[in-house]
Order: sequence, then C-alpha cells, then structure tokens
Amino acid sequence: MGRKLLLEKAHVENIRYFDVYRREGGYRSVEKALKSMAPDAVTEEVKKAGLRGRGGAGFPAGMKWSFLAKPEGVPRHLVVNADESEPGTFKDRYLMEFLPHILIEGMIVASFALGSNNSYIYIRGEYWWIVDILEQAIEEARSNGFLGKNILGTGFDCEIYVHRGAGAYICGEETALIESLEGKRGNPRIKPPFPAIKGVWDRPTVVNNVETICAVVPIINEGGDEYAKIGVGKSTGTKLISACGNINKPGVYEIDMTISVEEFIYSDEYCGGIPNGKRLKACIPGGSSVPILPANLLLKTAKGETRMMNYESLSDGGFATGTMMGSGGFIVLDEDQCVVKNTYTLARFYRHESCGQCSPCREGTGWMEKLLLRLEKGQGKMSDIDLLWDIQRKIEGNTICPLGDAAAWPVAAAIRHFRDEFEWHVLNPDEAVKRNYGLAHYADPLEIAATV
Amino acid sequence: MADEQQLFKVTIDNITVEVEPGTTILMAARKIGGDVTPPAMCFYSKLQGSGGKCRTCLVEVSKGSEKDPRPMPKLVASCRTTVMDGMEVKNITSAKVPEARAGVVEFLLLNHPLDCPICDQAGECHLQDLGYEHGKEGTRYEFSRRTFEKEDIGPYIQLHMTRCILCYRCTYVAAQLTDNRVHGVLDRGDHAEISTYISKAISNDFSGNMIDVCPVGALTDKTFRFKNRVWFTKPVSAHRNCDKCCGKVTIWNRGDEVLRVTARKDEWGEVESYDGKPGWICNTCRFDKKKMSDWTIEGPANINRHSVISTNHYVGAQKPAEFLPELMGGRNPKMLMDIHDVSDVNDPKVDLSLLPGPATGATFTKTKEQ
Repeated sequence: MGRKLLLEKAHVENIRYFDVYRREGGYRSVEKALKSMAPDAVTEEVKKAGLRGRGGAGFPAGMKWSFLAKPEGVPRHLVVNADESEPGTFKDRYLMEFLPHILIEGMIVASFALGSNNSYIYIRGEYWWIVDILEQAIEEARSNGFLGKNILGTGFDCEIYVHRGAGAYICGEETALIESLEGKRGNPRIKPPFPAIKGVWDRPTVVNNVETICAVVPIINEGGDEYAKIGVGKSTGTKLISACGNINKPGVYEIDMTISVEEFIYSDEYCGGIPNGKRLKACIPGGSSVPILPANLLLKTAKGETRMMNYESLSDGGFATGTMMGSGGFIVLDEDQCVVKNTYTLARFYRHESCGQCSPCREGTGWMEKLLLRLEKGQGKMSDIDLLWDIQRKIEGNTICPLGDAAAWPVAAAIRHFRDEFEWHVLNPDEAVKRNYGLAHYADPLEIAATV
Repeated sequence: MADEQQLFKVTIDNITVEVEPGTTILMAARKIGGDVTPPAMCFYSKLQGSGGKCRTCLVEVSKGSEKDPRPMPKLVASCRTTVMDGMEVKNITSAKVPEARAGVVEFLLLNHPLDCPICDQAGECHLQDLGYEHGKEGTRYEFSRRTFEKEDIGPYIQLHMTRCILCYRCTYVAAQLTDNRVHGVLDRGDHAEISTYISKAISNDFSGNMIDVCPVGALTDKTFRFKNRVWFTKPVSAHRNCDKCCGKVTIWNRGDEVLRVTARKDEWGEVESYDGKPGWICNTCRFDKKKMSDWTIEGPANINRHSVISTNHYVGAQKPAEFLPELMGGRNPKMLMDIHDVSDVNDPKVDLSLLPGPATGATFTKTKEQ
C-alpha cells in the first residue's frame, strides 16, 4: 500500500474542524516554518522536494516561486487556483470539502515564503457549499491565532480571502483567473508579462493549484529531501487521482507514483477493475484535455515497458504514443463506449467554454463540435475526418492560452488512435446510430488482469 | 543626448532594421514596410492594450536574440511580442506561417456573412484584403453561419454584429477615448457579442471613432449607410477649426455633396498622428458638418495604392519598392518572361498618368521610334 501524505487523516471524524485537525497534528508546519525558517529557506525546501504543479502542466512549484519578482514596496500575492472545472477532475473538491485546514495551513506557509500578506482562494462558482466550509475554516484559524496580524507572535501578517468565480472553465487559466479576481471579464492575458512579474493589480503573483499548496504541508513537516524520496525520478511525492468512468470504485485516490497503470485500474485498493467483466478499451488519464490512449498503449509504452502512473512514464512516447499526467482526472472507457461520441462531448464542452477572445479557438472549437456531431450521427463524410485533423492542427499552438491546445489534443488523439472507428461511423451510418463500434484491435493485451 | 539608447537589431525576412527596445515585431516590420509586414486585424497602434487576439500576425521567431539564440517553439503574435537584440524573424519566408495564417483567415471568415455586395465597408474592408492576400480560395465550412439580431446603438452608429470578428478595437476606443464606457463584450465563445448594456444608445463626442477603427462592416456610419459605394466617392483632405478635436479629416464627396467624413488614415489603415497625437475626430465634425462650406479643402486625399478606392487615381502614383532581391539574399527572382518584351502597352517608359487623355497606339509607336 502506497504512502499517504495528504489524505492520511481524511477519514478522522470531524477533521473538518480546527480542534480535531490541530489534535491530529495540524498546523505543525506553520509553527515550524514561521518560527524557525527564513522565507527563502521554505522556497528552497519546496525546490528540494521537486514538487511539480498539480494543476495540469506539472511545472516545478519551487521554480515558480523563485521567479516571483520582489520589487521594494510592492505587495505580492498568492492566489490559489480552486477553479477546478476540468471534466473528470474532482480532487481539489475532495481536499477542500474534507480537509479545508490543510489548504489553509499550506497557504499560510506559502504566503510566508512568498511574502504575501493578502492571499486569495479563487474557487469555481459551482462549489458554492465549499465556500462556506473554507470561510468557516479561515474563521477558526483566525480565532486561534494562525491568521490575521502577528501570527504566533512572529510578526508575519496574513489574511486569506475566498473569491467565487461565476462558472467559467477559462478562469482556471492563471491570467484569466487574475482578470476575474480583479473583477473584469475572464479573458486570458497575453504573456509575457507573466504573473510572477505582473499579476493581480499588476503586482507580482504566484498562482498555484489547491493540491500543490496542500503538498507544501508535508514537505515542511518532513523536509524536502524526505519528500523527494517518495515517488520516482522527477515525479516526487504523492498525487491525487480522481478516478471515474467505467470502474468499480470511482473516487479520489492518493498514489505515490510507483504503481503501474494496470495496477491502478485493476487493483482492489484503487479502481477495483471494470464492472460487469467488461474489457478495457481506452483511458483518458489526466483530465479531459489530455490525449486519449487505447488499452494496448495505456498499459504498455511503445517500447514495451510497463506504463507507470507518473509524469514521465505517462508522457513517454510524446503525443504519438503517449499522453500526459495532467490534473489527474482518470477517465476509464470500457468496450461499450463510443470514442466518437466521447470526443464530441469533449468538443462540445470546449466550444461552450472558449472565451471568444482569439479567433482560432472561438471559431475552431465550434466547427469541430459540428463536424463531430455529424460524424457521431452517421451523417459524416470521409473527408470530415481529415478536416478535423487539419482544424485541430491549426488551433494548436496558435492561441493566446492553452485552452486552444486543450480543445485540440483530445480530437487529435482520438483520430490518431481510433481512426477506424471514425471511418466505421461514416461507412455504416445506420449501424452507427444503433450500436457502438466495440473493441476491435484495441483489446486488452493481457489474458488475466493483474491484481495485487 | 548623452544617454542615448542602445538600438536593437532585428532581422525580419533577411532584412535588418534597427529599432528602439520595447518595439514589437510588427512595428519593426512596418518600419521596413511592404510585404514583410504581417497583416493585423485587431492590433491598432494608437489603442493601448489592443492586439494579440486575431492571430493573423503570427510569425516564426527562428532566433530569439543574440544572447539566447534558441528559436521560439510556437508561432508568436508579432503585434504583442517585443524584439530582442539580434532576433531573427521569418514571416513570408517561413514554411509554417502562410499556412497558419490561411487557417486563421478561414476561421475569421467561418461565421462572417460575406455580404460584401450590400456592406458599406466593402472596398475599404481589412477582412476583404486579408482574405484576398492570405486566404484560400474557398471555405470548407458546411454549416449554417452564426447570426445576430441587428442592434440599434444610437442615432449615428449601426451595429451589425453578424459581421463582427471580435477584434475588441471598439471597446478600447470606448475605454480610452470616451468618458462613460457603455459598451463591451457580452457572452463568451462563438456567441460573444459587442453590445451595450442593455441595448443602450451610445452618446459621446468621440464615439464615432469606433467606426474608423472597425476593420469590418460591423460598425457603420448611419449618415452614410447605403448612400454610395466608397469607390464611387472622391476622397478629399479638408480641415476646419474645431474646439473639440484636431479638425483634420477626409471628406468623401460625390459632386458637391459631402457624403461622409472620416479621420485621415495612414498606410496601415490607422488614424494619422499629428505631433505624436492620434487625429481622432469628434462627432460634430463627423456627422453634422455635411456641407462643402463647412470645410477648407486642402486637395485630393492620398489613398494607398493598395486600396481599391485608389483605382483611377493616378496623382502621385509611385512604383512600389522592389524588395524581393533583398529578401532573397541578393539574388534576383528568376523571371519566366518579361511582359515588356512582347507587349508595347506595358512599356514602362510611358507614364500613363502624365497623358492628357487615354493612351492610344500612337503613344507607344512614338516612344519606340525615339
């Protein structure tokens, strides 16, 4: 069984409340960091831990912190990105619902390291009940002297504010989030300047995912070197995976990145296999934006090695035969699922969530959605598949923010790996509306599913 | 001055130019001019913060700078990327740019109604130019196009949202030129629209400038709507003493009738600057002064050869500078056939613009004999 760092205490009754959380050893990292460490030493510790951003891109968090500009007399800010809207990802929700204090604790430490006296949690509008949970937790922390002026007598002031979004996926992009936090329309900014130089109200800002900030707590408690020992290579520490789709046990799992994808799907400790004895067809391992992989490439890399659940192994082979860790939204598709329909659903989502600022994304996402709907209904043409490929190629990399890429990748991967399924939809229009394509050669390459 | 600023050297399509630090690639390319300048639909140098949205100005940066020679991994929006010393940029010489740009043009035209025959902007529309110069011959879009209801935003300006390409220029005019900003962008994605909240009229002395900055026919002058095609009108530079604006305009005449008044435009389709200040004009000059007696005429307006409006206007016609040899590193393009060898009509020795009347066969035989 893997090591747990974040969810270790998640099942303690009333861990949501300050008293229980404190009794279970909470807020130790605040005491340690504020009383015995310099802000730069905290950043150094996070760097040593090799913590990678958990929001999707996997950029090293310590590096991001050290990029923060520190001009004299200008306030700096920490903004926590809780705008978790990626289809398939619900790990931050779990953390904030059950362990709000670990986020507050991590934020105090991170604010101390960055010198932010006013830190913000930007939470998606649909998580309205979590706002109450967080505000209650902030209130409790304040009345116990962990927030406000002169925390623990160290002279460090910190306030945390919760800001509700209005239900836009694009506001999870850091510059759109900053615009929205400022009270403007959530349009991504053109980079550079990066938020580390000019962020909220043109002040230096660090935007981090909820899980990244929570991971700061065990890093400070155990030390960066200890944390770096967990996991493999550059994938250090533990990662929360929100598993969903055709599996027996959907939910949020904490893994230490040393297990294989096969074990994660079939082990009873994690997803518990695929219901009704069906076989694995495909999987989107990191939230809707990352490329979908067929079963044969998912369990083994193109080189024939076992694919592991970590950043490097999942992206092994690039986009041709690999995918990405992303934000950890693990979506499993069994043999009865239609990849064309799945791709259409994703394309519809991105069409709906495009901000409309730059033309390739605004127009291209709508076009892809229309083409995919036509293909899904069996009214498509063979040329539509090539056209889809061409459209996604012209969106990818040509937009202001990564939403264009996120919309293009799922379509590209679906065509790359499941082209014959698209063609079957064109060639058998009557059949396509009645039944699904099934497995064909994407069949699970393993005779017996491995269980641990 | 003693502390003279170090100039940055930037090479765009093998042509090197020196610019001040902080200049964008697009502005550096405009300094060179000609075909190496990327097109810009949303960028407007006189509006702060504009640009980066339409993605037509994408260029390839093949060398980041002298210090860090790595190329940039993606195509960048030249209007918002500042130059570095020793940067090398590929625009028309790039293998990737023309295709990406054709893709952007296709995206921009995807939901555009292409109602040019009834659109007042036709003839001076940047989207038309862009389509001709950088687009493909047809679209592959087979679905119904997005449409909007026509919206009334006051007595002078007509908003035709269906034609809009969401360049955001007019919202920058509203934010930077007028005091009470009442219009902006509503909704998101492909149903985002320019609108006032909600259906209010725009009344402000400088609101008319949003017609000038609109690259397409989404915002048109109601006093000129359906009066005439622009290429039938005669553009004349004129001025008057105005206490609100610079008063320097182009008036578009038919006979003695002033059909339309606009600000003067430079070769990039932007409003001319006077003493470093953009020559925005006020609504009184634009909409109310429609008599010849209101204006002091300066002479025919200088219209860019590139524009369809300049057809038949020969005054001051200039041969565009030949840039190809420089672009190709000193080599001359290989000519398949020189048309002048077989046709007298195109004899470059005869300047048609200097002839008192139409050219006849006699004109050319005369030059041959000489």
